Amino acid sequence: MAGLDDVFGDLFASVDGVALFSPSGSYYEQVAAVEDLNVIVVGTENSVGAETFVELPLEFEDVTERIRFGLEGALEQDVIEDGDELLCATSAFSDGIDTISRVRADAESHTGIYDLFAKSRADPEVVKAVLELAIELGQKGQKGKPVGALFVVGDAGKVMNKSRPLSYNPFEKSHVHVGDPIVNVMLKEFSRLDGAFVISDAGKIVSAYRYLEPSAEGVDIPKGLGARHMAGGAITRDTNAIAIVLSESDGLVRAFKGGELILEVDPEAY
Amino acid sequence: MVVWQSLLNEPAVIAAAVLALGLIVGYFVGRLNEELLSASGVPDAVEGTPFERTAQSLGTSTVEIIARLSSWFIYGIAVLTAIHIAQLLDTNAFWLRVTEFIPQLFIAVLVLIIGFIVADKSELVVSEYLRGVKLPEVSIIPKLVKYSVLYVTFIIALGQIGVHVLALLILLTVYAVGVVIVGTVAFKDFLVSSAAGIYLLLNQPYGIGDQVRIGDQRGIVQEVDLFVTKIEDDSEEYIVPNRKVFEDGIVRIRE
Repeated sequence: MAGLDDVFGDLFASVDGVALFSPSGSYYEQVAAVEDLNVIVVGTENSVGAETFVELPLEFEDVTERIRFGLEGALEQDVIEDGDELLCATSAFSDGIDTISRVRADAESHTGIYDLFAKSRADPEVVKAVLELAIELGQKGQKGKPVGALFVVGDAGKVMNKSRPLSYNPFEKSHVHVGDPIVNVMLKEFSRLDGAFVISDAGKIVSAYRYLEPSAEGVDIPKGLGARHMAGGAITRDTNAIAIVLSESDGLVRAFKGGELILEVDPEAY
Repeated sequence: MVVWQSLLNEPAVIAAAVLALGLIVGYFVGRLNEELLSASGVPDAVEGTPFERTAQSLGTSTVEIIARLSSWFIYGIAVLTAIHIAQLLDTNAFWLRVTEFIPQLFIAVLVLIIGFIVADKSELVVSEYLRGVKLPEVSIIPKLVKYSVLYVTFIIALGQIGVHVLALLILLTVYAVGVVIVGTVAFKDFLVSSAAGIYLLLNQPYGIGDQVRIGDQRGIVQEVDLFVTKIEDDSEEYIVPNRKVFEDGIVRIRE
């Protein structure tokens, strides 16, 4: 095997750190036992109790996305620096760690995905729950037909003042929060309604059926997206909310923040 | 027939029959208990408690121990009754006391076992609940809960077998009163706020997005929960305890 070491040794020669993606407990112990090694654990939860931990909001199916998000989060938390060479160990095919790749942390390619979760007004769990909901809605549609939906998350007070009701609000005087088990079914049913869902910082569903009235000036979203995306993008410019939009035509889930498209995921890939 | 009759009159035979019956009933009650406890989800409830782990390491389980205990209790009664019928011993008064004492002892042991499990379980639940609070001092609270439960258990168990527990009870009362007093003083504001919060959540005199003024703070309501109302103006976010909402009243601003 010495020959293989010569070939692949370059991969892990003089790296600045190792990023383990959702390692098992014993795997982490093994790596952490190596001396003078900067170990970062990335995952949906810190199940191994690691000191440096970067939280993933979703179990990204795509390995490149997973690694990019993890590194962006690590850069944001200052656990690594721009230009660091990192060895990323993750799982691509099986449940355990089976893939390593050498990646250079690059602050230039900052997309803001990490900010979307960690630095939004709304709680990260709420953003995550809404994103999961949109993805699920995109996968299954409503009664088998593709649906579109627009969720405005966070800064609900301002959003309510920049929108008007299209009809009676089905969530009036109710106390439902995203992430409650029954809510997904409810939102799916209500997704046939026109207009936006407004969700507060803490995840309370404030209203459905809202017609958003932001000023669309200076909103920079790709051409070809419809009125729903435009409205979603524009409201995030006017307020501190983020918008998560499920497109009816191409079935993609997009997230907007500050009037810009931040994240684009294909529900079918999850 | 005569032989049968005379046999039936023999105390030793009746005693043997009682003994056999007791053994059978005891065995089946034990089995039934085990089934009932398993069906009602006791194994899941006690999972992870130190008591269960100790039981596991001894090759048994909590359910099995309790089931065995009920079996042995009935065996014991059967044996005592048999001895009584066979008139092996004639000191009636002594046996009367023993038969009275055994059920109490049985209940005391049962109380102890349940107490240990409840104590362990509540320690687990409380520490799970407090896991988010990353303060080393907090780890004392689950322990405190555990030993409080254990203390009550011991008092019940000791009381059951007739030990005088008055002094221990007084200690418990002092402790409980202390906890209640400290609790009310510490959580007074929370209690008042949550009472107001319940009204606010049920009746929703104002909702998210409304312009309101509470006392000196004016802004858009961003969030209402049990304890606080968050209102925000252009540059500042006020977190107002719901208690204050009631004291100062709410002004809804319409433009």
